[in-house]
Amino acid sequence: MSKPKIPKDKQLPEGGIVDSPKTEQEQMTTGGWRILRSIINEEECTQCRECWILCPDAAISIDKKGNMKINLKYCKGCGICAANCPVGAISRVPELDFDEVTIYRDLPY
Amino acid sequence: MNEIKTTNQVKEITIWASGVVQDAEARDTANCIAAAAAQEGKHVQSFDNYVDLPDRVNVPVRKYARISSEEIQEKYLYENDHPNIVVLVEPALIKGFNILRGMPKGGILVLNTDRNPEELLKFLPNKNLLSAIATIDASKATETIVDDFMDIEGASAKELGRGIGAVLAGAVAKVSGDFTLESLKKVVQNKDAAEKGYRNVKIKKL
Repeated sequence: MSKPKIPKDKQLPEGGIVDSPKTEQEQMTTGGWRILRSIINEEECTQCRECWILCPDAAISIDKKGNMKINLKYCKGCGICAANCPVGAISRVPELDFDEVTIYRDLPY
Repeated sequence: MNEIKTTNQVKEITIWASGVVQDAEARDTANCIAAAAAQEGKHVQSFDNYVDLPDRVNVPVRKYARISSEEIQEKYLYENDHPNIVVLVEPALIKGFNILRGMPKGGILVLNTDRNPEELLKFLPNKNLLSAIATIDASKATETIVDDFMDIEGASAKELGRGIGAVLAGAVAKVSGDFTLESLKKVVQNKDAAEKGYRNVKIKKL
């Protein structure tokens, strides 16, 4: 038995669907929420990767030298990395101290 | 989004804040402004919309108020499409979002920060819409702690204007002149905070 055909205007719109995860997910940018920006001091950093594991937005990546890099387009400034850094290499600076804008959106959603 | 044109008499006020942490403060500011204008016999509304309500910590949330000398027709519009006054309880949101979206020319921006209004203008690509920008250090003007998740500020008429909300409403009263400090003092609990907001606000006319 073939499926009954529903006309296009009677179908329910797809809701709450985002594409499968990639390196970046444009529909889930949270960089605009940030109040305090996390700054990693590379001289103090021991490359233990604690922040890389704990970041809830997976905004921290590891570059070829092994240093931690924060993707500010997605970092919402929760401060979990700074609170859990065992050597205290991550400091938090007010976002308004920086001139450059990392993400600018027309609407929050 | 369908843009429905609002009547010219209605003054729209949008308050932005960081979710959960400053939710009560933003709601309080909207309710203080509406209640103060109602004291002068104006027609008012204040509300939040459901878009913002699945509330996560630090998500940008918006609260709305409307003031009009005539009866407000837009009863079932749950968003201010053309805000005349924008208030930021968290000033860092100026960098992330188009907070002046839909603003008609000659709008007003009020920020809760200790910085000068001049240094924040560089973050606004559409600053030509503004007629004035103002800053007030509301957290300093009251003893209310911002990180209070149990706060019920602005939730009922008896809890109106206990802290930051009263300061920001006082600043809006000075910058916009839509309602007087006297009528604001009649509705808020912390009258000293409203007075400080009115006196200490730094205004830059553009």
